[in-house]
Amino acid sequence: MRSRTAEVAAALAHGAGPGGQAGESFGMWTVEVPVDGWRATLYAARDTHGLRFFDWLSAVDELEEGYRVVAHLLDPDTVTHLLISARVPLADPRLDSVVEVFRGAAWHERETHEMFGIDFVGHPGLTPLLLPDGFEGHPLRKEFILASRVAKVWPGAKEPGEGHGTGPRRKAIRPPGVPDPEVWGPAARNAHEAG
Amino acid sequence: MGIGDAVLPDPVKFVLNWGRRYSLWVFNFGLACCAIEFIATSMGRHDFIRLGVIPFAHGPRQADLMVVSGTVTDKMAPAVKRLYEQMPEPKYVISFGACSNCGGPYWDSYSVTKGVDQIIPVDVYVPGCPPRPEALLQGILRLQDKIAGEPVSLNGGARAARSPERSTARVLTAPLVRPDSGA
Repeated sequence: MRSRTAEVAAALAHGAGPGGQAGESFGMWTVEVPVDGWRATLYAARDTHGLRFFDWLSAVDELEEGYRVVAHLLDPDTVTHLLISARVPLADPRLDSVVEVFRGAAWHERETHEMFGIDFVGHPGLTPLLLPDGFEGHPLRKEFILASRVAKVWPGAKEPGEGHGTGPRRKAIRPPGVPDPEVWGPAARNAHEAG
Repeated sequence: MGIGDAVLPDPVKFVLNWGRRYSLWVFNFGLACCAIEFIATSMGRHDFIRLGVIPFAHGPRQADLMVVSGTVTDKMAPAVKRLYEQMPEPKYVISFGACSNCGGPYWDSYSVTKGVDQIIPVDVYVPGCPPRPEALLQGILRLQDKIAGEPVSLNGGARAARSPERSTARVLTAPLVRPDSGA
Protein backbone atom coordinates (compact mmCIF):
# COMPACT_ATOMS: atom_id res chain seq x y z
CA MET A 1 0.00 0.00 0.00
CA ARG A 2 1.31 3.41 -0.88
CA SER A 3 1.77 5.91 1.85
CA ARG A 4 -0.33 9.03 2.00
CA THR A 5 2.77 11.09 1.21
CA ALA A 6 3.33 9.13 -2.00
CA GLU A 7 -0.29 9.61 -2.99
CA VAL A 8 -0.14 13.35 -2.39
CA ALA A 9 3.12 13.61 -4.30
CA ALA A 10 1.71 11.67 -7.24
CA ALA A 11 -1.45 13.78 -7.29
CA LEU A 12 0.51 17.03 -7.20
CA ALA A 13 2.81 15.86 -10.00
CA HIS A 14 -0.20 14.80 -12.06
CA GLY A 15 -1.93 18.12 -11.44
CA ALA A 16 1.11 20.04 -12.59
CA GLY A 17 0.67 18.66 -16.10
CA PRO A 18 3.46 17.51 -18.41
CA GLY A 19 6.80 17.93 -16.71
CA GLY A 20 5.39 17.12 -13.29
CA GLN A 21 7.26 14.30 -11.64
CA ALA A 22 7.13 12.67 -8.25
CA GLY A 23 9.93 10.66 -6.72
CA GLU A 24 11.65 9.69 -3.53
CA SER A 25 15.16 10.81 -2.77
CA PHE A 26 17.04 10.31 0.48
CA GLY A 27 13.83 9.14 2.16
CA MET A 28 11.94 12.28 1.25
CA TRP A 29 9.15 12.56 -1.28
CA THR A 30 9.77 15.25 -3.84
CA VAL A 31 7.57 16.73 -6.54
CA GLU A 32 9.20 18.39 -9.49
CA VAL A 33 6.97 20.79 -11.39
CA PRO A 34 7.45 23.02 -14.42
CA VAL A 35 8.07 26.70 -13.80
CA ASP A 36 4.62 27.81 -14.95
CA GLY A 37 2.91 25.32 -12.64
CA TRP A 38 4.76 26.42 -9.52
CA ARG A 39 2.20 28.66 -7.88
CA ALA A 40 -0.77 26.48 -8.86
CA THR A 41 0.93 23.44 -7.34
CA LEU A 42 1.46 25.23 -4.05
CA TYR A 43 -2.19 26.32 -4.06
CA ALA A 44 -3.23 22.71 -4.69
CA ALA A 45 -0.93 21.44 -1.95
CA ARG A 46 -2.38 23.87 0.54
CA ASP A 47 -6.06 23.71 -0.36
CA THR A 48 -6.59 20.20 -1.71
CA HIS A 49 -4.02 18.14 0.16
CA GLY A 50 -3.90 19.92 3.49
CA LEU A 51 -0.20 20.86 3.39
CA ARG A 52 -0.99 24.02 5.32
CA PHE A 53 2.33 24.58 7.02
CA PHE A 54 5.01 26.33 4.98
CA ASP A 55 8.35 25.36 6.43
CA TRP A 56 10.97 26.91 4.17
CA LEU A 57 11.87 27.90 0.65
CA SER A 58 15.34 28.06 -0.79
CA ALA A 59 17.27 27.23 -3.92
CA VAL A 60 20.05 24.96 -5.20
CA ASP A 61 22.60 25.92 -7.82
CA GLU A 62 22.67 23.06 -10.34
CA LEU A 63 25.26 24.73 -12.57
CA GLU A 64 24.37 24.79 -16.26
CA GLU A 65 21.01 23.13 -15.59
CA GLY A 66 19.80 26.22 -13.73
CA TYR A 67 18.62 26.91 -10.20
CA ARG A 68 16.21 24.61 -8.44
CA VAL A 69 13.84 26.44 -6.13
CA VAL A 70 12.65 24.13 -3.36
CA ALA A 71 9.84 24.54 -0.85
CA HIS A 72 9.13 22.26 2.08
CA LEU A 73 5.46 21.92 3.02
CA LEU A 74 3.87 19.98 5.83
CA ASP A 75 0.47 18.82 6.97
CA PRO A 76 0.54 19.31 10.74
CA ASP A 77 -2.35 16.85 11.34
CA THR A 78 -0.82 13.80 9.73
CA VAL A 79 2.80 14.98 9.61
CA THR A 80 2.82 14.41 5.89
CA HIS A 81 5.59 16.45 4.40
CA LEU A 82 7.31 16.75 1.06
CA LEU A 83 9.51 18.94 -1.09
CA ILE A 84 8.17 20.77 -4.11
CA SER A 85 10.72 22.06 -6.56
CA ALA A 86 10.91 23.88 -9.86
CA ARG A 87 14.01 24.46 -11.95
CA VAL A 88 14.44 27.92 -13.39
CA PRO A 89 16.80 28.41 -16.33
CA LEU A 90 20.22 29.93 -15.80
CA ALA A 91 19.67 32.63 -18.42
CA ASP A 92 16.38 33.86 -17.00
CA PRO A 93 16.09 32.98 -13.31
CA ARG A 94 12.51 33.99 -12.71
CA LEU A 95 9.66 32.32 -10.87
CA ASP A 96 6.19 33.26 -9.65
CA SER A 97 6.14 34.46 -6.08
CA VAL A 98 4.08 32.34 -3.69
CA VAL A 99 3.56 35.09 -1.14
CA GLU A 100 -0.15 35.06 -1.97
CA VAL A 101 -0.26 31.36 -1.05
CA PHE A 102 1.88 31.50 2.09
CA ARG A 103 2.53 34.92 3.57
CA GLY A 104 5.55 33.52 5.38
CA ALA A 105 7.27 32.83 2.08
CA ALA A 106 7.97 36.55 1.64
CA TRP A 107 11.05 36.51 3.84
CA HIS A 108 12.37 33.29 2.29
CA GLU A 109 11.93 34.59 -1.24
CA ARG A 110 13.68 37.79 -0.28
CA GLU A 111 16.63 35.84 1.03
CA THR A 112 16.69 33.51 -1.98
CA HIS A 113 16.58 36.52 -4.28
CA GLU A 114 19.54 38.01 -2.46
CA MET A 115 21.61 34.84 -2.28
CA PHE A 116 20.85 33.35 -5.72
CA GLY A 117 19.66 36.31 -7.78
CA ILE A 118 16.35 34.63 -8.59
CA ASP A 119 13.56 37.05 -9.41
CA PHE A 120 10.23 36.27 -7.76
CA VAL A 121 7.53 37.83 -9.89
CA GLY A 122 4.77 39.37 -7.80
CA HIS A 123 6.76 39.65 -4.58
CA PRO A 124 5.79 42.82 -2.68
CA GLY A 125 9.35 43.96 -1.96
CA LEU A 126 12.53 42.15 -2.96
CA THR A 127 14.82 44.51 -1.06
CA PRO A 128 18.16 43.30 0.29
CA LEU A 129 17.91 41.94 3.78
CA LEU A 130 21.03 40.21 4.99
CA LEU A 131 24.04 41.33 2.99
CA PRO A 132 25.90 44.54 3.81
CA ASP A 133 25.10 47.65 1.81
CA GLY A 134 26.78 47.73 -1.56
CA PHE A 135 27.46 43.99 -1.69
CA GLU A 136 27.91 42.82 -5.26
CA GLY A 137 27.01 39.36 -6.46
CA HIS A 138 24.95 36.47 -5.17
CA PRO A 139 27.10 34.57 -2.70
CA LEU A 140 25.33 31.20 -2.76
CA ARG A 141 25.76 30.82 -6.50
CA LYS A 142 28.55 28.41 -7.32
CA GLU A 143 29.99 30.95 -9.75
CA PHE A 144 30.55 33.35 -6.83
CA ILE A 145 34.27 33.76 -6.26
CA LEU A 146 35.48 33.37 -2.68
CA ALA A 147 38.22 35.97 -2.74
CA SER A 148 39.75 34.82 0.56
CA ARG A 149 40.40 31.39 -0.88
CA VAL A 150 41.99 32.93 -3.94
CA ALA A 151 44.27 35.11 -1.83
CA LYS A 152 45.29 32.47 0.69
CA VAL A 153 46.42 28.91 0.15
CA TRP A 154 44.22 26.20 1.57
CA PRO A 155 45.19 26.03 5.27
CA GLY A 156 44.00 22.50 5.99
CA ALA A 157 46.22 19.46 6.41
CA LYS A 158 44.25 17.80 3.63
CA GLU A 159 43.32 19.05 0.23
CA PRO A 160 39.61 19.54 -0.51
CA GLY A 161 38.09 16.15 -1.20
CA GLU A 162 41.00 14.21 0.24
CA GLY A 163 40.00 11.56 2.78
CA HIS A 164 41.70 9.38 5.35
CA GLY A 165 44.33 7.05 4.00
CA THR A 166 44.24 8.18 0.40
CA GLY A 167 47.93 7.55 0.15
CA PRO A 168 50.49 10.16 -0.78
CA ARG A 169 49.39 13.72 -1.00
CA ARG A 170 47.95 14.48 -4.37
CA LYS A 171 48.61 17.52 -6.45
CA ALA A 172 46.94 20.55 -4.90
CA ILE A 173 43.55 21.17 -6.46
CA ARG A 174 41.49 24.30 -6.47
CA PRO A 175 38.98 24.45 -3.61
CA PRO A 176 35.34 25.22 -4.41
CA GLY A 177 34.74 28.90 -5.09
CA VAL A 178 38.17 29.50 -6.62
CA PRO A 179 38.32 29.96 -10.39
CA ASP A 180 41.05 28.68 -12.65
CA PRO A 181 43.97 31.14 -12.40
CA GLU A 182 44.24 31.06 -16.19
CA VAL A 183 40.68 32.33 -16.43
CA TRP A 184 40.41 34.74 -13.50
CA GLY A 185 42.92 36.72 -11.49
CA PRO A 186 46.24 38.51 -12.07
CA ALA A 187 47.76 35.75 -14.24
CA ALA A 188 44.74 35.82 -16.52
CA ARG A 189 44.87 39.59 -16.72
CA ASN A 190 48.55 39.58 -17.58
CA ALA A 191 47.97 36.98 -20.27
CA HIS A 192 45.09 39.02 -21.59
CA GLU A 193 47.16 42.19 -21.71
CA ALA A 194 50.13 40.42 -23.28
CA GLY A 195 48.01 38.68 -25.89
CA MET B 1 49.77 73.25 27.47
CA GLY B 2 46.98 72.24 29.80
CA ILE B 3 47.31 70.45 33.06
CA GLY B 4 46.43 67.19 31.32
CA ASP B 5 49.64 67.29 29.34
CA ALA B 6 51.79 67.76 32.40
CA VAL B 7 54.12 64.95 33.36
CA LEU B 8 52.67 63.30 36.39
CA PRO B 9 54.81 61.96 39.21
CA ASP B 10 55.09 58.21 39.42
CA PRO B 11 52.97 57.74 42.56
CA VAL B 12 50.08 59.63 40.93
CA LYS B 13 50.48 57.58 37.78
CA PHE B 14 50.43 54.40 39.83
CA VAL B 15 47.27 55.42 41.66
CA LEU B 16 45.44 56.44 38.49
CA ASN B 17 46.38 53.24 36.67
CA TRP B 18 45.61 51.18 39.75
CA GLY B 19 42.11 52.67 39.79
CA ARG B 20 41.60 52.03 36.12
CA ARG B 21 42.80 48.46 36.07
CA TYR B 22 40.58 47.31 38.91
CA SER B 23 37.42 49.08 37.80
CA LEU B 24 36.76 47.89 34.30
CA TRP B 25 33.11 48.20 33.45
CA VAL B 26 32.81 45.72 30.64
CA PHE B 27 30.54 45.93 27.65
CA ASN B 28 30.01 42.48 26.19
CA PHE B 29 29.63 42.58 22.45
CA GLY B 30 28.31 39.03 22.25
CA LEU B 31 27.89 37.95 18.64
CA ALA B 32 28.04 34.17 18.73
CA CYS B 33 28.82 31.16 20.89
CA CYS B 34 31.86 32.82 22.51
CA ALA B 35 29.42 35.10 24.31
CA ILE B 36 28.29 32.06 26.31
CA GLU B 37 31.84 31.55 27.55
CA PHE B 38 31.97 35.23 28.44
CA ILE B 39 28.79 34.84 30.48
CA ALA B 40 30.25 31.76 32.14
CA THR B 41 33.30 33.81 33.09
CA SER B 42 31.08 36.45 34.64
CA MET B 43 29.13 33.95 36.73
CA GLY B 44 29.83 32.38 40.11
CA ARG B 45 32.38 29.70 39.24
CA HIS B 46 34.90 31.92 37.47
CA ASP B 47 33.62 35.25 38.72
CA PHE B 48 35.70 37.94 37.06
CA ILE B 49 34.25 40.56 39.39
CA ARG B 50 37.01 39.48 41.79
CA LEU B 51 39.42 40.99 39.24
CA GLY B 52 37.47 44.22 39.27
CA VAL B 53 35.75 43.55 35.99
CA ILE B 54 32.14 44.60 36.32
CA PRO B 55 29.86 42.93 33.78
CA PHE B 56 26.80 44.26 32.05
CA ALA B 57 27.52 47.96 31.83
CA HIS B 58 24.34 49.81 31.01
CA GLY B 59 25.67 50.68 27.60
CA PRO B 60 28.87 51.54 25.79
CA ARG B 61 28.84 55.07 27.23
CA GLN B 62 29.28 53.67 30.73
CA ALA B 63 31.89 51.09 29.76
CA ASP B 64 35.70 51.01 29.91
CA LEU B 65 36.28 47.67 28.27
CA MET B 66 34.62 46.07 25.28
CA VAL B 67 34.86 42.32 24.85
CA VAL B 68 34.05 41.35 21.28
CA SER B 69 33.05 37.72 21.59
CA GLY B 70 31.88 36.06 18.42
CA THR B 71 31.78 36.29 14.68
CA VAL B 72 31.90 39.84 13.37
CA THR B 73 30.18 40.08 10.01
CA ASP B 74 30.58 42.88 7.50
CA LYS B 75 26.97 43.77 8.15
CA MET B 76 27.58 44.07 11.89
CA ALA B 77 30.96 45.80 11.62
CA PRO B 78 29.59 49.37 11.39
CA ALA B 79 27.60 48.79 14.58
CA VAL B 80 30.69 47.48 16.39
CA LYS B 81 32.65 50.53 15.32
CA ARG B 82 29.87 52.91 16.27
CA LEU B 83 29.45 51.48 19.74
CA TYR B 84 33.22 51.47 20.24
CA GLU B 85 33.32 55.15 19.33
CA GLN B 86 30.62 55.85 21.90
CA MET B 87 32.78 54.53 24.73
CA PRO B 88 34.59 57.20 26.70
CA GLU B 89 38.38 57.29 26.89
CA PRO B 90 40.31 55.50 28.19
CA LYS B 91 38.87 52.44 26.53
CA TYR B 92 40.15 48.95 25.92
CA VAL B 93 39.13 46.09 23.67
CA ILE B 94 39.58 42.38 24.17
CA SER B 95 39.03 40.26 21.09
CA PHE B 96 37.66 36.98 22.43
CA GLY B 97 37.83 33.87 20.29
CA ALA B 98 39.11 32.85 16.89
CA CYS B 99 36.32 34.54 14.93
CA SER B 100 36.86 38.01 16.27
CA ASN B 101 40.65 37.55 16.18
CA CYS B 102 40.91 36.67 12.51
CA GLY B 103 37.66 35.25 11.16
CA GLY B 104 38.39 31.82 12.62
CA PRO B 105 36.69 28.92 10.88
CA TYR B 106 34.91 31.43 8.64
CA TRP B 107 38.16 32.82 7.22
CA ASP B 108 36.92 32.20 3.66
CA SER B 109 33.33 33.36 4.08
CA TYR B 110 31.82 36.06 1.92
CA SER B 111 30.20 37.77 4.89
CA VAL B 112 32.61 37.51 7.83
CA THR B 113 35.05 40.27 8.77
CA LYS B 114 38.56 38.82 9.00
CA GLY B 115 39.13 39.99 12.52
CA VAL B 116 37.63 42.82 14.54
CA ASP B 117 41.03 44.56 14.51
CA GLN B 118 40.25 45.62 10.95
CA ILE B 119 37.75 48.14 12.32
CA ILE B 120 38.78 48.94 15.90
CA PRO B 121 42.09 48.74 17.79
CA VAL B 122 42.44 45.63 19.93
CA ASP B 123 44.49 45.47 23.13
CA VAL B 124 44.40 41.77 23.96
CA TYR B 125 43.60 38.78 21.78
CA VAL B 126 42.27 35.64 23.45
CA PRO B 127 42.68 32.58 21.20
CA GLY B 128 40.38 29.58 21.19
CA CYS B 129 37.24 28.29 19.58
CA PRO B 130 35.69 29.09 21.94
CA PRO B 131 38.30 29.94 24.58
CA ARG B 132 37.71 28.56 28.04
CA PRO B 133 36.70 31.04 30.75
CA GLU B 134 40.19 30.70 32.23
CA ALA B 135 41.56 32.05 28.96
CA LEU B 136 39.44 35.18 29.31
CA LEU B 137 40.61 35.60 32.90
CA GLN B 138 44.19 35.37 31.65
CA GLY B 139 43.39 37.91 28.95
CA ILE B 140 41.96 40.28 31.56
CA LEU B 141 45.11 39.90 33.67
CA ARG B 142 47.25 40.71 30.65
CA LEU B 143 45.14 43.77 29.96
CA GLN B 144 45.50 44.89 33.57
CA ASP B 145 49.27 44.53 33.30
CA LYS B 146 49.13 46.64 30.19
CA ILE B 147 47.06 49.33 31.90
CA ALA B 148 49.45 49.37 34.86
CA GLY B 149 52.33 50.25 32.56
CA GLU B 150 50.56 53.00 30.66
CA PRO B 151 51.70 56.61 30.53
CA VAL B 152 48.98 58.74 32.05
CA SER B 153 47.49 62.15 31.59
CA LEU B 154 44.56 63.54 33.51
CA ASN B 155 42.26 63.86 30.55
CA GLY B 156 42.17 60.33 29.25
CA GLY B 157 44.43 57.39 28.72
CA ALA B 158 47.47 56.94 26.58
CA ARG B 159 45.47 56.64 23.41
CA ALA B 160 43.60 59.91 24.01
CA ALA B 161 46.85 61.76 24.54
CA ARG B 162 48.29 60.36 21.32
CA SER B 163 45.30 60.80 19.04
CA PRO B 164 45.67 63.84 16.77
CA GLU B 165 42.06 64.93 16.91
CA ARG B 166 40.87 65.01 20.51
CA SER B 167 37.36 63.65 21.07
CA THR B 168 34.86 66.29 22.04
CA ALA B 169 31.59 66.01 23.92
CA ARG B 170 29.89 66.17 20.55
CA VAL B 171 30.68 62.51 19.84
CA LEU B 172 28.89 61.51 23.03
CA THR B 173 25.72 63.31 22.07
CA ALA B 174 25.34 61.94 18.57
CA PRO B 175 21.67 61.65 17.68
CA LEU B 176 19.83 58.36 17.45
CA VAL B 177 19.98 56.52 14.15
CA ARG B 178 16.53 56.58 12.62
CA PRO B 179 15.50 53.75 10.29
CA ASP B 180 14.75 56.16 7.45
CA SER B 181 17.86 58.29 7.80
CA GLY B 182 19.96 56.04 5.57
CA ALA B 183 17.55 56.07 2.64
